Amino acid sequence: MSESAPVRRRFSTGTTTADLRQYMGPFAERLGYKFNTDAGFVEEVLTSEIEILDSTGDVFCPCRMRTGDSKEDTKIICPCIPFHRDQFAGLKKCWCGLFILKEVDDGLELLGVIEEPEGPIDVPVFRVDDLPDGQIRHVKVGRQDIAVARVGQEFFALSNVCRHAFAPLGEGFMDGYHVMCPWHGWQYDVRDGTTDHPGADVKTYPVSVEDGEVRVRMPHAR
Amino acid sequence: MIEPTRGVRVSVTLYALSTCPYCRMTRKYLEDSAVQFDLHEIDLLDEDARTAAVAKVRELSGGASFPVIVVDDEVIVGFNKKRIKELLGL
Repeated sequence: MSESAPVRRRFSTGTTTADLRQYMGPFAERLGYKFNTDAGFVEEVLTSEIEILDSTGDVFCPCRMRTGDSKEDTKIICPCIPFHRDQFAGLKKCWCGLFILKEVDDGLELLGVIEEPEGPIDVPVFRVDDLPDGQIRHVKVGRQDIAVARVGQEFFALSNVCRHAFAPLGEGFMDGYHVMCPWHGWQYDVRDGTTDHPGADVKTYPVSVEDGEVRVRMPHAR
Repeated sequence: MIEPTRGVRVSVTLYALSTCPYCRMTRKYLEDSAVQFDLHEIDLLDEDARTAAVAKVRELSGGASFPVIVVDDEVIVGFNKKRIKELLGL
């Protein structure tokens, strides 16, 4: 073995900003975002990311500093939207502004905006078609672990954590409006988080569907 | 409350990354506004200095997102032009 491990590159040498656009665009789109409408700004950010890629081996956010802790640094690899969903939904853009929410018409208006609105934030988590009827899945929203369930055309969000032994309800089994915990079979009503075990209800969150995207309403406190 | 002294009695420090567009905007805004400030481009420092600077930024802002602007004891995270204007009386 060599003494120093080779840099593990995510992209090949010679990757261009056009390559990054092609790679990142479809992923951001699935998360409810699009590239900033200011093409010059996008090119500036992606050019910085290419420089960072060439020196570090991956496309870290140009506006956040790496820690050297690979687990932590994973959270700032572009697009880093999944790790900061609530913050970015409040800002209507990612921290560096490369990506903006699909509903934003003019990304220029958001340049320099860093104040999040007061009150709850509707955070896009996935598209309607990403979750089949009768299924449930886990999503991370900020520090919260949420399970989102689908019953017909209705969507429900509740804490992902079973109150019994902390199992992930997002891996549970749906039966009508109930999810059965994957570990010991406790059952929760996905509409209100209630269970037949006394004092063990779980928190629920309002869900809306807009332009084919499922959004979970989160309290602002982070 | 900080008096709008435009750099006379006010200490302004900009912690930035050379790769960060908002850091460049902040720097340009301060320069265009004739504000005197200390600039620390963290990613261009050698390893020891960078580690210390990142620790300082974490202490100030609770994270490692840039730019971080310090106006006397006030800490602004991000290119918050409105807040910078308020603090510097621009």
